[in-house]
Amino acid sequence: MTQDESSGQVMSQGVMSTGEGMRIFPDVEACIDCGGCVVACKRTWDREIDNQRIDITTMAEGVAGPQGENADKTGRLAAGENPGETSLPMQCYHCENAPCVSVCPTNALQKEDDGFVSVHEDLCVGCQYCLSGCPFGAPQFPDSNDGAAQIFGTGGIMDKCTGCRERQEVQKGPACAEECATDAILVGGAGEIADELEARDSQPFFNDEAMAIIFGEEDAQLFQ
Amino acid sequence: MTNLDHGKFSRVTTMFHSLLALTVFILFFTGYAIAFNTELWWLVELMGGNQGVLSIHRLAGFALIALTGFWVPYMLLRSASRSNFRSILPAPSDVTAFVQDVKFALGRADERHPAARQFAGYKADEVPLISYIGKGVIWIFTVELLLLMLSGLLIWRKTWLIDFYDSQSVVMAFVAFHGLLGVIMLMGVMFHTFEHGFHPAFYPVEMKAFLPKEHTPNFHGDPDDHETTGIERLRRKSSWRWATNVMGVLVVVGIVSVMMASLEYGGYPVPDSLVFDEGSVLRTIGINIGIFVLLVGLVLSVFGNVLRARYMRQRRERERPTERTPAADGSGSTRDDGPSEADD
Repeated sequence: MTQDESSGQVMSQGVMSTGEGMRIFPDVEACIDCGGCVVACKRTWDREIDNQRIDITTMAEGVAGPQGENADKTGRLAAGENPGETSLPMQCYHCENAPCVSVCPTNALQKEDDGFVSVHEDLCVGCQYCLSGCPFGAPQFPDSNDGAAQIFGTGGIMDKCTGCRERQEVQKGPACAEECATDAILVGGAGEIADELEARDSQPFFNDEAMAIIFGEEDAQLFQ
Repeated sequence: MTNLDHGKFSRVTTMFHSLLALTVFILFFTGYAIAFNTELWWLVELMGGNQGVLSIHRLAGFALIALTGFWVPYMLLRSASRSNFRSILPAPSDVTAFVQDVKFALGRADERHPAARQFAGYKADEVPLISYIGKGVIWIFTVELLLLMLSGLLIWRKTWLIDFYDSQSVVMAFVAFHGLLGVIMLMGVMFHTFEHGFHPAFYPVEMKAFLPKEHTPNFHGDPDDHETTGIERLRRKSSWRWATNVMGVLVVVGIVSVMMASLEYGGYPVPDSLVFDEGSVLRTIGINIGIFVLLVGLVLSVFGNVLRARYMRQRRERERPTERTPAADGSGSTRDDGPSEADD
């Protein structure tokens, strides 16, 4: 636990609970684009140099917010104002209404009973429909430059963030969230994440449509 | 559909038709193994497995583009083909024929319109080279294939499309369009297979589609010199009735199944927001029946080429002069081929 001196509120670490029903969600007010999460993921899962299961997207780079670099981005965004430079950890958010699952023609992408969205490699044909369906850029195609995939332009087997399911099954948080120096990657139930954002005086970065995709219509109301 | 008294394709078009059938069937078997993956899980394994099926689909797609890219200009540049082009253009009589056909089916017209007649003993000068149904098949398939090729090329590399339009949704739109158009074509090809394989005058396969015009015994002299077209000399095969009934049922089940599955399926080709239902045993059986109908079409296409080769061999044997082969003891022996099947 850390003490937020300005507000006097008690903040949690990024990982609040793990396992069944967990959600992963970014707090853009906290992200400083250090790349720790990217390194942690690569190191934990031994990914190739050009395969990033998590990536930090920086918008309005170099544009200062009205009250300094990290001032109230989500509040200004909600008010329709320029939030200044904003960094956003992009990964698979294991959506409640996952568009990738919806568009996958071979059922290679499945929403598991415990809430994780997983890839069944023996069913993936590399059609890349998930690439066009996912709003968050999660699907990666590391084999797209190998063999037949390169010749015919198919994607090869899709790869994405697994939510560190194996780690969560033994009560460990995802590597990216555990490694994050500023606790910008929140892991827990929808209610826990909503409460934590409120405690931090932060808001979701995404619009209502994206929130309904990630959390489902009902749980998205928690963030209103 | 051509009149019984007309030849059908040129030598090049005969070859093109067979190769087109082969590539289109491969495209169907690979594309729908993916689209109806739940029902056709076994077909994915047969068509290259999950890592090869799309490569084969794209290879066949490229072959189709190369094939039509050669054939269409060839037909437009060849004077004999250009002269026939007018015959496949829609005409007002086609609309009249369609209306009269509907009336005929309802019992409100005594006979079919000349532009709808294909067989039935009419002579070449009494009916057009191609009926309105035949024109429909040509133009519908042409437009469908063109749109399928264009949309297929557009979704070849989705990242390019996303970058070009700066939108992901456009990819899903083209993907859905490609898939749904494929379903429509799938139904059309099932019907086409039934139409040309199970007509009583042609069963089991319309050989004219596989035999170049120059080898088709047809008559283009003075029609008054002959009483009939010779259709009365045809004898129906004994298996035609049950085979046609069975195939008719399978075609209807296959068409209805892929249509219903396209409407009921969540995801591809119809988005989840429009889904009505999820998997069922009946639908699995129905879609597999549809694929079986397509397989029959492919087999008939191959069989048509076998018949052509057999027929040409028979003609060569009939035209060959009697040979004298010296025997081992020096005496001559005459070998004379008996009457062939083509004499029947």
